[in-house]
Amino acid sequence: MNNLTDLPNPDGFFGDYGGKFVPETLMHALKELDEIYAKLKNNPEFIEEIDQDLVQFVGRPSPLYFAKRLTDYYSGPQIWLKREDLNHTGAHKINNTVGQILLAKAMGKKRIIAETGAGQHGVATATVAARLGLECHIYMGAADVKRQSLNVYRIKLLGAKVHAVDSGTATLKDALNEAMRDWVTNIEDTYYIIGSVTGPHPYPMIVRDFNAIVGRELRKQSMEQFMQYPDAIVACVGGGSNAMGIFYPFLEESNVDLIGVEAAGSGLMSGKHAAPLNDGEPGILHGAKSYLMQDENGQVVDTHSISAGLDYPGVGPEHSNLKDSGRANYIAVDDDEVLSSFHLVTKLEGIMPALETAHAFAALEHIAKNYKSNQHVVINVSGRGDKDINTVATMDGISLD
Amino acid sequence: MGYLLTRLDEKILSFNKTSKKALVAYLVAGDPDLDSTLELMHGFVSAGVDILEIGVPFTDPIAEGPIIQAAHDRALKNNTSLNNIFQLVERFREKNTDTPIILMGYINTFLANAEALKEAHQSGTDAVLIVDIPGESNLEDLGIKNEHLASISLIAPTTSEDRIGKICNSSSGFIYYVTLRGVTGSSHLNIQEAESNINYIRSQTSLPVFAGFGIKTPDDAFNLSKISDGIVIGSSLVQMIHEQSDQKEYKKIYNYLHEMAEAISR
Repeated sequence: MNNLTDLPNPDGFFGDYGGKFVPETLMHALKELDEIYAKLKNNPEFIEEIDQDLVQFVGRPSPLYFAKRLTDYYSGPQIWLKREDLNHTGAHKINNTVGQILLAKAMGKKRIIAETGAGQHGVATATVAARLGLECHIYMGAADVKRQSLNVYRIKLLGAKVHAVDSGTATLKDALNEAMRDWVTNIEDTYYIIGSVTGPHPYPMIVRDFNAIVGRELRKQSMEQFMQYPDAIVACVGGGSNAMGIFYPFLEESNVDLIGVEAAGSGLMSGKHAAPLNDGEPGILHGAKSYLMQDENGQVVDTHSISAGLDYPGVGPEHSNLKDSGRANYIAVDDDEVLSSFHLVTKLEGIMPALETAHAFAALEHIAKNYKSNQHVVINVSGRGDKDINTVATMDGISLD
Repeated sequence: MGYLLTRLDEKILSFNKTSKKALVAYLVAGDPDLDSTLELMHGFVSAGVDILEIGVPFTDPIAEGPIIQAAHDRALKNNTSLNNIFQLVERFREKNTDTPIILMGYINTFLANAEALKEAHQSGTDAVLIVDIPGESNLEDLGIKNEHLASISLIAPTTSEDRIGKICNSSSGFIYYVTLRGVTGSSHLNIQEAESNINYIRSQTSLPVFAGFGIKTPDDAFNLSKISDGIVIGSSLVQMIHEQSDQKEYKKIYNYLHEMAEAISR
């Protein structure tokens, strides 16, 4: 387990995973992005501009909060919450868009595109585009447009255009396909803000770096508030940006357990899930090699999750490498466990997590028993649950009309 | 380098001798069904097509416009696999042994069938064109090991000059120049830009340069054939095949191909 922090290599590989598997038209744009990011990431003015936005626009740092009643409920470790749900726009996604929009500006791009699943990345992108007065197009699976209607309306209010994607499974993967097609077509004036640690190099690295503020804050806050690093950090994994952001600054701290939680949907045995790290094989989708849900002919299979943000057959390549290296562990929880956990956390802590985030909470049922009362487990509360009220009501058999 | 002359190379040598421009036609295997694909392949050749490009369907074809995407979806509904396509090629070779066949698709389906690809030349496949890998990739490094298969690479208007050199060095068969920024079937043909880029590519390689993406009319075909060594037609054929998916009356398509073949030999 050496040098996990120094990845990816110059070709964009994390061990066996990653790379740039894209149509030729995009290769030049990726190289351009790689070069401008390498130039800007250590530029003091660029760093200061991002830091200022993170403090004054996003509201960072996000608190590290002791969840007393949840701790009492499990009577295991002390449970702490990293409150990304308190960020402007309600999730960790804004950390990445605030950074990438400045890259777009530096490259002189006038038009912004993005894909979104749960709509959080769409909102976060439309927000930063509005702030700079840039034209913005959000691609979203038609099925997700339905189940995340609140976020769709938010995106429209922010002045962006929402394109509902009907092709394939009409979810996040198809939104990504369509965003890539838009990018191929409008490569000269368009910047594509990918929303997770997925896609071709350099995106997995850039999105990780912009989200790593979460883990860096946690290093400081955990020392201040409980005088040590956490014993475990738990985060949900779809593409895996909130997990990568909080894991990355701890990769070299081998005493800190890193636990990623995938969506088991209707159950891993049912085949209807979105857990490639638990039940997939390495493959290539959307520009990178990584674990993938696919059949024996290399066709990508349909996924299912209660959570639109995790309903994706692939995962960021760095997670695949962390899995193979054994540095992180990946478990999966099913829709029923997630729904119970959503209610439990809402009632015990007065915090309503996003359904994506509720996966991380649901993992406590499995892992809390492994830690003692003097140990500290941090849950990354990646987003808030307002957007999911309709889905939860439907699952509970309640009509809001 | 131990590279063996394929049916594709022989065809290209014969073009060089006669200065004939090549007509390459694309269709998606299994749309509307494999028997129709076989019939169409023979029909295409009779109508004047020199090289066949068989689309291997994939669930997530990010370089394709709506017409070819839909064809991929239909072919997958018919459970068309790469193994079916090898059988299709084998059946085609019962009656045709000289028209080169290129399989065009996406890396994940090829990797999933890497073992079977080792035998692909035996059933009559001559080349692969993988849309979503960097042009300078070595197929063997990616895990596709078959020295009998040519590897066709794409070069786009956005490809930098230093990479054009590298891509030419790792290609065999011909270079496929993408005439526009966009997905298949778009309509932003820019002949002037294509001409200067194709001239540059020619300065880097002795391989012929074919142009494709966005060619719809005999005029498009004529204009591009003047500045390249051949043209590729895809979306318009796929669309016409789909329109005939019930009647399966393909005469109009063959007439269209015939017109295109005439246009490039003008």
